[in-house]
Amino acid sequence: MALLIVYPAALSVFDTLTATSADGSTRFTLESYVTFFQLPDALPNLWFTLRITVVTVTILFALCFPIAYYLRFSTSQLSVPVRFLALFPMFVPGIVTAFALIRFLGDNGWIENILFSLTGWEGWVSPIAKPQGIVIGLVWEGVPVTVLVLTAGLSQVPNHLIESARDVGANGRQVFFRIIFPQIRRSVMIVLTLNFLGVFGAFTIPLLLGGASPQMYGHYMANRLYGIGQYTHAQTAAVIMFLISAAVGTLYVRSVVNQRMEKGE
Amino acid sequence: MAKLTIDTLTKHFGSVVAVDRINIEVEDGEFVCILGPSGCGKSTALRMIAGFEHPTEGDIRIDDSSIVAIPPNKRPTAMVFQKYTLWPHMTVYENIAFGLKLRGTADATVRRTVEEGLELVGLSGYEKRYPSQLSGGQQQRVALARAIVLEPKILLLDEPFSSLDALLRVRLREELKRIQRRLGITTLFVTHDQEEALSLSDRIAVMREGQIEQLADPSTVYARPRSLFVADFIGDMNLFEATTDAEGIRLGSSLLRDSGGVEVDRKVTVAVRPEELVPAATGVPPEETWEIAVEQTMDLGHYLKLLGELTGVGPVKIYLPKSAHANVVKGRVRVTPTRYLIYSNADAPVEVVKRPHVVAR
Repeated sequence: MALLIVYPAALSVFDTLTATSADGSTRFTLESYVTFFQLPDALPNLWFTLRITVVTVTILFALCFPIAYYLRFSTSQLSVPVRFLALFPMFVPGIVTAFALIRFLGDNGWIENILFSLTGWEGWVSPIAKPQGIVIGLVWEGVPVTVLVLTAGLSQVPNHLIESARDVGANGRQVFFRIIFPQIRRSVMIVLTLNFLGVFGAFTIPLLLGGASPQMYGHYMANRLYGIGQYTHAQTAAVIMFLISAAVGTLYVRSVVNQRMEKGE
Repeated sequence: MAKLTIDTLTKHFGSVVAVDRINIEVEDGEFVCILGPSGCGKSTALRMIAGFEHPTEGDIRIDDSSIVAIPPNKRPTAMVFQKYTLWPHMTVYENIAFGLKLRGTADATVRRTVEEGLELVGLSGYEKRYPSQLSGGQQQRVALARAIVLEPKILLLDEPFSSLDALLRVRLREELKRIQRRLGITTLFVTHDQEEALSLSDRIAVMREGQIEQLADPSTVYARPRSLFVADFIGDMNLFEATTDAEGIRLGSSLLRDSGGVEVDRKVTVAVRPEELVPAATGVPPEETWEIAVEQTMDLGHYLKLLGELTGVGPVKIYLPKSAHANVVKGRVRVTPTRYLIYSNADAPVEVVKRPHVVAR
């Protein structure tokens, strides 16, 4: 791990923080960051990436929590197809998802054609080439893992703990906020950080969906590298992505470690 | 305090009848146990009273007003569960205070009540601990305190001590009885442990396959079990297949002269408690005594337990005072029942008490 991950990562960080002088000596400098952020699209793209990430993570949670809650507590037969549908995107590669969404939601796609043939309406504006397209694609991709982690967290709250709270007088809302939620805080934290990392570093979906500009960082970095051949800029972008991800990753690791310690593992 | 009435209470799960038209009246301040093997419907009955299951039929009343339509969080009942149900993210104090706070009790009162509750269960000073820092017995005591501080009209307990070790179980049982007496709280306790039921209850309801087989005080249930099932389930019991004839009851080559008025030529089951088989006095006619081949003698401290065979009838258990061991000669002992029950049909058994011919213990 040290050889394959830590060493090259450290090398990249070191590269972006140093420059070679005319006499051949290496000196410490923030030059590459300064020039990088002088690029007209570097900062806007970073904000755009963070915005898309926060919006996607929020939508994922808001969408998946009720599904996971339903799957945990429902005894109905309907939970079987719901579970299947929630997990289905896991088995579809991202690139297939992207093209399927283009066919479905894009210009002259199914939705537009169906709306037209049913109502004669021609006002459909496809979200595919807009930032919303990226969010839709990433949400679709993120649903299975989000539902899985939240369902697992919720199943760690046994029924008898809920019943005993009902017994002493808690209503549904009080049971949720005072008994269930405090016990799944860690699962929520894990799902938020995992989704953040996945969405923040997403590549395929932002490449195929969304407009040409602004771009998400994965896409932007690849463009700098392969499109324009700006190796240093790409590397600087990579280090920035890495640092942000590492910060969020620390939260994830802390959640997992705390959970283990609480369980006495 | 309060009276609990369970009126033709029934619960079906699909085609399975878990509870089948049971009736129990628990008087104000009374301690009633529902006793039965697992799967007999006792916990389901309790869960219906707590509000976690909805009855298919029948009614549950507290002080003559029905509570069936009331959700569990608004019922004047409090339950102690079989599993550990303290909320792991709350301290002992927070666990006990939770229900009080939901009722809008003032902080000072909550603090005082929690302290009193902990004192009652012998855990003063444990306020700041988390459930994971408590032993199983301590957790169940906190759960008991959590239920009691709410001053429920009815206290429900669903095998609260079954996951504890034997010694602790006995101690907590005694503590529970003391607390229940002191508070005079109407209590319904579910258990599969007959010793627990016998030692705690004012009355016992013995359940089997969703129905109540017998509802009586412990000594009646022990001395005159209403059915063969109860006879076999409560305490140790010898059950012998036999037939009646003109001379009495035939058990293999042995005879019991008094057939308690049961018609002749009937198949019956004779039930004798192991402590009611005593060594026969010398004057007793041999055909009226049973010769037992002793296979195993167990010293249980204050008495001896003999396992043997009643020739031609089947295995038999006898409890003897240690002083009576001299009666076992060459692995054989002649005994005679001082009292037995004759079960001949679905009706209550016939009891025969036989005092003469018995040696003094």
